[in-house]
Amino acid sequence: MSHTKKHTEEVRLMKGNEAVAHAAIRCGCDGYFGYPITPQSEIMETLMELEPWNTTGMVVLQAESEVASINMVYGAAGCGKKSMTSSSSPGVSLMQEGISYLAGAELPCVIVNVMRGGPGLGTIQPSQADYYQTVKGGGHGDYKMITLAPASVQEMADHTVMAFDLAFKYRTPTMVLADGVIGQMMEKVILPPYQPRMTEEEIIERCPWATLGKTSDRKPNVITSLALLAEEMEEINLRLQGRYREIEKNEVLFEEFSCNDAEYLIVAFGTCARVCQKTVELARNQGIKAGLLRPITLFPFPTVALKNYAEKVKGMLTVEMSAGQMVDDVRLAVNGKVPVEFYGRMGGIVPSPDEVFEAFKNKLVKN
Amino acid sequence: MNIMTTNDIINPNNLVYAKPKVLNDTPMHYCPGCSHGVVHKLIAEIIGEMGIQNKAIGIAPVGCAVFMYKYIDIDWQQAAHGRAPALATAVKRLLPDRMVFTYQGDGDLAAIGTAETIHACNRGEDIAIIFINNGIYGMTGGQMAPTTLNGMKSSTSPNGRTVTLNGNPLDITKLLAQLDGTCYVTRQSVHTVATVRRAKKAIQKAFENSMMGKGTSIVEIVSTCNSGWKLSPADSNDWMVENMFPAYPMGDLKDI
Repeated sequence: MSHTKKHTEEVRLMKGNEAVAHAAIRCGCDGYFGYPITPQSEIMETLMELEPWNTTGMVVLQAESEVASINMVYGAAGCGKKSMTSSSSPGVSLMQEGISYLAGAELPCVIVNVMRGGPGLGTIQPSQADYYQTVKGGGHGDYKMITLAPASVQEMADHTVMAFDLAFKYRTPTMVLADGVIGQMMEKVILPPYQPRMTEEEIIERCPWATLGKTSDRKPNVITSLALLAEEMEEINLRLQGRYREIEKNEVLFEEFSCNDAEYLIVAFGTCARVCQKTVELARNQGIKAGLLRPITLFPFPTVALKNYAEKVKGMLTVEMSAGQMVDDVRLAVNGKVPVEFYGRMGGIVPSPDEVFEAFKNKLVKN
Repeated sequence: MNIMTTNDIINPNNLVYAKPKVLNDTPMHYCPGCSHGVVHKLIAEIIGEMGIQNKAIGIAPVGCAVFMYKYIDIDWQQAAHGRAPALATAVKRLLPDRMVFTYQGDGDLAAIGTAETIHACNRGEDIAIIFINNGIYGMTGGQMAPTTLNGMKSSTSPNGRTVTLNGNPLDITKLLAQLDGTCYVTRQSVHTVATVRRAKKAIQKAFENSMMGKGTSIVEIVSTCNSGWKLSPADSNDWMVENMFPAYPMGDLKDI
């Protein structure tokens, strides 16, 4: 076994939040700016403990608010740096202005939201009720954010790395949308290999728009989301929309369990997908042909896959820790072809596989 | 007697003064008489003289100076309203050898951006903050600012600012001078040749401090907004001296 292989396959046990911190350092993140909020404070705590400024040179700064954090991310991203922040639902609400500016200024960055129950101060228990806010554009204006939904500690690490790659590929803010369970639970994880931080030469090459100081061979670089002329602003919007269509074409990710012969399809992401995987087993044990489709990207949404399943299955059940948000996108994909039912718990409650199975039978298999 | 012809006058050998090279030719959108143009020119001049055009990164505010990036030939980031010090914090921390400055009005710096301003200063970020204080929201049409004087009329204090309704004017520069993170806090104006020269020295010092990593520098420029004040440019200068200066006295508040 080669040294590299041994290194990359080292298995560690840690929380999802800790995995985000380790992965950020390892993938060459330049700057993390955050503000404490449960249930994700371990991300900044781990970074502060690891002191990456002594190793990779990564800057880690505790800001005075989530508003400041997201604007620090904007400043860093404007310099072509790999920058990120993390928070939980109420904090992410505060960041919406900044996210809209980042989208408007076409800046790449990563935002991790470890969701908790709302509305308001809500609860520190896990939730998925920020789906709308994330994929429908929580801030002002027509924008989209690539959204990854991890369902394990391993994916917390992997998605952090992937989010940066996508953010830079499309010059767009990218969200890792986890929930309190994924952030807090401990699991085995193989951390990603170390990548060096980008040098300034590499940034100039990759991000010619970055504000690193104007050199005599080019015009000034200006990071802005402002265009007072309506025609100019529409041009920017058309460019963004074009990019979102590209993202929809290229970047859809989802996972299927027992879907081949499925007569009923459960659709769930994150923690709910783990619960529903067990529900599928319970159904299969009783001879009911159930399958699970787990969207990994929430934007872009696996619309085409769901549309195709609508041709094959008798009905679908969407399960969420919310009043029902993703279910709207499932219904849009299915377009009335088969019934799409919903089961959800709110306020921080994680549904059990048994109660989902009951709902599945009552709502879907009753006939 | 030798009378200079037009050709003599424009002969480069006879030039005694020129527009700073770092200042673009783009016509400014500012109202005639406004202080912004003078301060912009000073900033461009200083950046040119210090030879740091390739090291200067400016953070433009929301307010009248939102288009500042059109006028000064350096790299710029345009911030959300009030957030310029947060952007500058990240830029300077990730590019420590650059000269990073914000340019903010009184609404941007002392109202919506109070938290970002105070905390950037308290952390002693190695940035320069150029603070234009004209006691009014210019761009949105003359509303009351945190620095609007008592009794001063604005579109949202049409009968004059009152303490009971709005509290007293906020002397944020005095407050920032109390913080250990600030190394240089000064208040200047640009309404006479002498004051322009002093303001230039102050801005240059603030930029040098950023380059040397000495901490946060604040240069407040008490300015006129003749459109918002509904006075002629000349009357605005007089009004500023008579009314603004007693509330916001000129000079260094701190210089370490």
